[in-house]
Amino acid sequence: MSIRVMVVDDHPLWREAVERDLSDAGLDVVATAADGREAMARFPAARPDVVLLDLQIPEPDGVAVTAAIAEQSPETRVLILSASGEQTDVLAAVKAGATGYLVKSASREDLLDAVRRVAAGDPVFTPGLAGLVLGEFQRDTEQTPLTERETEVLKMVAKGLSYRQIADRLVVSHRTVQNHVQNTLRKLQMHNRVELTRYAIEHGLDEE
Amino acid sequence: MGSATLRLVRTPHSPAAVAVENRLFRALAVLRTIVLLNTVGLSIYHADDFARPVLGAVCIAAMVVWTAVVTWSCTEPRRRTPTVLGADLALALGLLLLSPLVKGDDFTSSLPGFWIVGALLSWSIHYRWQGGLAAGVVLATADLAQRQDVAQSDYGNAFLLVIAGPIVGFMSGSVQQMATEREAAERTAAVAAERARLARAVHDGVLQVLALVQRRGRELGGDAAELGRLAGEQERELRRLIRAQDEFAPVAAGTVDLAAELTGLERRYAVTVSTPGTPVEVPAVVGRELVAAVQACLDNVRVHVGPDAPAWVLLQAFADRVELSVRDDGPGIAPGRLEEAAAQGRLGVTASVRGRVADLGGTAELTTGSFGTEWELVVPLGSAP
Repeated sequence: MSIRVMVVDDHPLWREAVERDLSDAGLDVVATAADGREAMARFPAARPDVVLLDLQIPEPDGVAVTAAIAEQSPETRVLILSASGEQTDVLAAVKAGATGYLVKSASREDLLDAVRRVAAGDPVFTPGLAGLVLGEFQRDTEQTPLTERETEVLKMVAKGLSYRQIADRLVVSHRTVQNHVQNTLRKLQMHNRVELTRYAIEHGLDEE
Repeated sequence: MGSATLRLVRTPHSPAAVAVENRLFRALAVLRTIVLLNTVGLSIYHADDFARPVLGAVCIAAMVVWTAVVTWSCTEPRRRTPTVLGADLALALGLLLLSPLVKGDDFTSSLPGFWIVGALLSWSIHYRWQGGLAAGVVLATADLAQRQDVAQSDYGNAFLLVIAGPIVGFMSGSVQQMATEREAAERTAAVAAERARLARAVHDGVLQVLALVQRRGRELGGDAAELGRLAGEQERELRRLIRAQDEFAPVAAGTVDLAAELTGLERRYAVTVSTPGTPVEVPAVVGRELVAAVQACLDNVRVHVGPDAPAWVLLQAFADRVELSVRDDGPGIAPGRLEEAAAQGRLGVTASVRGRVADLGGTAELTTGSFGTEWELVVPLGSAP
């Protein structure tokens, strides 16, 4: 069964190019949308496995759409495609529930690979994003929720090592490395939810 | 709208200045009521001493009516005309001059009494220190001129009128000017934010197209591939520029943002720099030495691995230290090469990096092998020179 993908981008040229690449590779593009509103309207009927999402789209923006999708359909994966790679936005999207992030200039092969990996639940991190995530964990916690191994793996991703290289260095399987990165992402998103919950309680938003 | 707004900023009566004046006139309305009640009360109490009680009553009635009229007039900026303010001062002056007639030549307190401060302060608020000074001099002169003998307290009151007018006027002008400046600063900040937002949208569009050209070019090959390569270069350049702009955060004097400094290296080397995403403030000397050490490592990658060989820098910031890693995917440094170089008296990159980091009280460790070469630099913060 081919992977069902939804492409959300406000640039028609780009949307068409990505759509063609995905279809040529045998993936099933079930919907496209030009902005956040369209995306949220078409998303329930399209039921994609992966949403390929540009961060800079007309309101509601990529981060808001990511959060809404994570809320409505946790099994759907969001892969962020960003042209400018603005750090705070990318980190916000990942915290809101995105599984991966890719710069738009990535090659077709990289894009297809990323879509397939994200569909399988594998986080796709760039070294830059791993650095941001590390910083996020190291900033305000004297006691990081990450295990030593997870921190080690995340550091290696931030240093530009591929999962294969990390597996070789640590003498573990590729799958183990993937699990560590997955756990890291889960903890980051949980961390985010804890923050949100604390915020809600502090501001009295938890009362119905 | 734009030109109209600019014009208003330059004139003293900007919307912010008018708002300040409105507030001051509202406060003055309260003061006017208080001094009116005071004058009316005292006049009733001393009614028996009046030489011409009927004329006195008419004058008091005029004061009551005029206080209501002028208070109402001054609530609206457009009703604060020279006519109204002129009439205000003229009435105060007229009542002062009528004092000997109403109260007898040997009067001690003038007929309007403190009521005249209403007119004085109107002039101060509206015409600034110049208006306050003019009104103060006129009122003081009128008060003193008709007294048969000037008592110490009369002189004191007159003196207060002359100095209070310009002081209140000066303060009114200053507050109005500050409000105008703040309004202009707020507008400038809003314009800058809007410009940044627009720039972001424009940049994003350009980046999209460059990324697309790069991608398609690569697939088409031939001349198109060259176009794609150029587009890719420009795309990276623009993205670095935007990142550098985003990371431009004000830092304390004598410190630098190490994250921004290192990210700047992406412009000159084929390096990917990962940072915590927030400014990493370190003393300027630490920043300078660390950037130089990283540059030495990257130069070494160029020489020993290849001019376009990729490298990665990771910066981690902790409360007490910074940790830096510089890594490449090259063949590693052959065993014995470093010792050999040292024996030949070439200290080279190793000594340079170690020396710089040691001077900062930190440590530098080198790992090398078939997987590549990696430097780990740890520099404590706080105890650094």
